[in-house]
Amino acid sequence: MLERGKISPVQMALFMNPAISATALLLVPSITAKHAHQDLWLSPIWASFIGYFIVFVSYQLNKLFPNQTIIEYSQQIVGKFFGKIIGVILLLFYLHITGVIVREYGEFVSGASLFHTPMAVIIGTMVLVCSLAVRGGIEVIGRAGEIIVPVVLLLYVIIFILLIKDLEIKNMFPIMEKGITPSLMGSVSPQSWFSEFILISFLLPYVTDRKRGMKWGMISVFSVTVLLVLTNIMDLLLFGNMTASLTYPVMVAARYISIADFLEHLESIVMAIWISGTFIKITVFYYAITLGTAQLLKLSDFRPLILPIGFLILLFGLWSSNNLEELSLFLGTSGAIYILSIQIIIPVFLLLTGFIRNKVQQGKGNNENEAPVNH
Amino acid sequence: MKLQSIIKKYLLLLFLVFSVVFLSGCWDRNEVNDLALIMAAGFDKKSDNTIELSVLLYIPKGGGNQQDMNSAGGGGYETMVRSAAGITVADAMARLQEKLPRQIFWGHTDIFLFNEKLAKEGIFEHVDFIMRHPQLRERAQIFVSKQPAKEVLSLMPPLERDLSEVLRELGEHEIGMSITTKELAQMLISDSGDCALPWIQILPPDDKNKPKRTIAYITGTAVFKKDKMIGKIDDMLTRGILWIRDEIRLAVVTVKLPQTKGYISVNLSQAHSKLVPTIENGKWKITLKSETYSDIVQNSTHLNVSDPAVVKSLERQIEQVINNRIELARKKVQKEMKADILGFADAFHRYYPKVWNKEKKRWEEIFPDVEVKYETKCKIRRQGLHS
Repeated sequence: MLERGKISPVQMALFMNPAISATALLLVPSITAKHAHQDLWLSPIWASFIGYFIVFVSYQLNKLFPNQTIIEYSQQIVGKFFGKIIGVILLLFYLHITGVIVREYGEFVSGASLFHTPMAVIIGTMVLVCSLAVRGGIEVIGRAGEIIVPVVLLLYVIIFILLIKDLEIKNMFPIMEKGITPSLMGSVSPQSWFSEFILISFLLPYVTDRKRGMKWGMISVFSVTVLLVLTNIMDLLLFGNMTASLTYPVMVAARYISIADFLEHLESIVMAIWISGTFIKITVFYYAITLGTAQLLKLSDFRPLILPIGFLILLFGLWSSNNLEELSLFLGTSGAIYILSIQIIIPVFLLLTGFIRNKVQQGKGNNENEAPVNH
Repeated sequence: MKLQSIIKKYLLLLFLVFSVVFLSGCWDRNEVNDLALIMAAGFDKKSDNTIELSVLLYIPKGGGNQQDMNSAGGGGYETMVRSAAGITVADAMARLQEKLPRQIFWGHTDIFLFNEKLAKEGIFEHVDFIMRHPQLRERAQIFVSKQPAKEVLSLMPPLERDLSEVLRELGEHEIGMSITTKELAQMLISDSGDCALPWIQILPPDDKNKPKRTIAYITGTAVFKKDKMIGKIDDMLTRGILWIRDEIRLAVVTVKLPQTKGYISVNLSQAHSKLVPTIENGKWKITLKSETYSDIVQNSTHLNVSDPAVVKSLERQIEQVINNRIELARKKVQKEMKADILGFADAFHRYYPKVWNKEKKRWEEIFPDVEVKYETKCKIRRQGLHS
């Protein structure tokens, strides 16, 4: 095995939370609000079903092939050639998506505070830091998550509490003015975020207790849902219909805090939440790509791949779009379908095929030994 | 082997030293002594298609001669006003930068002023700049001034540091209207799109020889139809509007009970109001439900205010006074100005989303004819320390 480290299910749940929510917190409220209007807080709830489903699918796949990642067992399920094609598609997809994530990070930092710093420097430094974490392997990522995530969540809750006095419940009404459709439309783009939970199929082989892995995966989905609903409610109650026209509602919300004239100008807290959350997010994606590539090429170590892949992520980040509007439009429209289709269709197809294959082989080899698909 | 590890160590050290270059974020370093901190900004109409942007700048002072300045009686020497004209705010800002040796920094701007003339032509395009600029904060307060904004900004208030501080504090008392950029933007995109901003004018100075040593204060409300100012109402009517908008925080109500001499004044300690709309047979009605708790602060009558019967009739009387105040304000705004700054449109939208979507194009016709009923409840809680 390429990775000798092990993580506990709790660690996985902890770092999967920012791995999904980090970028979602800043961009999704305004994308969702464009469709869902005052029902935007319902959208993450609809979207979360995709998350539960994906965790279930990757757990079932892991049950069939306990010690393999999705790159390895796709070759077992559909044969070497097609399996490799699926692997290449997945890895290229993640390379692109990581590029997009890195770009979202860069756009925020340069759009909100570092106006003159070149994008390549902002993105490059982040990728460099992440590459150090990836080099440490999964245990290091797990521990980084344990340290960073609770702090991030705490800061987030603090922002919410400080805003309570400015919230106006009446902004929420009328609920479901035009039926359920707007909130469902609004849930398409959070769905693509939730589908990123398929990443745990790269991590499950290294989780110590698989059974609890499923449970904690579900808890992780739930925590992301709660976080997104809370964010959307906060933005809705504070800004009402204005949410859709703001680029970073959470950032503006934090800036709006003013307690007793001196507790003000707290947007740097959002900056801290965003940067540390995105660090975890990029690291998890980066790790999945590196590990997957090494497994696809049957290398004995994944570490030599880290820097070249980091360089590719940097380039994808620079090339993924011309500006924020384009990026936001991509994530709200075609991107959502693109992300959803790859992250849902491939695993579901693999699971069904694997399941049928297993049944057939079990029927055939009743007198043979068990576990016919092992290696 | 040993040499290699030494080289490795030095390479690591070199890497660490090198990363310092990036860690400081030097591309965007902003030294305080390179920044021109803008405390307040005002917009005036210059000519037909240009506006004038005036800004109140903070002048940082070394500790040394500060005392001399104060003893000279000038006070207020720590700020200055500069202005520049342009087609848009952003254009004017670029022109202004030409006249300033330091880089304009908007992060501390608490106050925006619109002159009446400019407000009458529409403020939407200027609000867009305020909302879009990354440095500007959404909690900045917005006012409409009778006198040119440039003149208001250059006042030297006797009590506070500068005018932006005066207006910020006045706004926070919530005696008059207090509107932040965020709230203004929300009103502009609300269902009716009509908005209201606090109206300020210059208080006549005590000393005629020092015309600048005074402040500007809130004397009413500027009423906007969509983003164009159509008129103003005085501070008494403003308080009626605040009742309807559930923004009243501080009020003293003085009443005269029948068959008595003298007056009783009560101080409002809590007030809440709610608009409850109903549509019956095509008739649009609104019930204003409000609830207040008050404390007695002055009693110049011979009545014993600890007698529950007296308190009861006092409460009824106060309700009557409050209703009258609201009624006056409502009539002016709804019947004369026909501007929905009362939040009726949003209330109907919330309670009757289906009807609203059908009828919203007719709102302009419906609004002046909306019937309003009052359900005011007043409770006296304390009589003060003396009875």
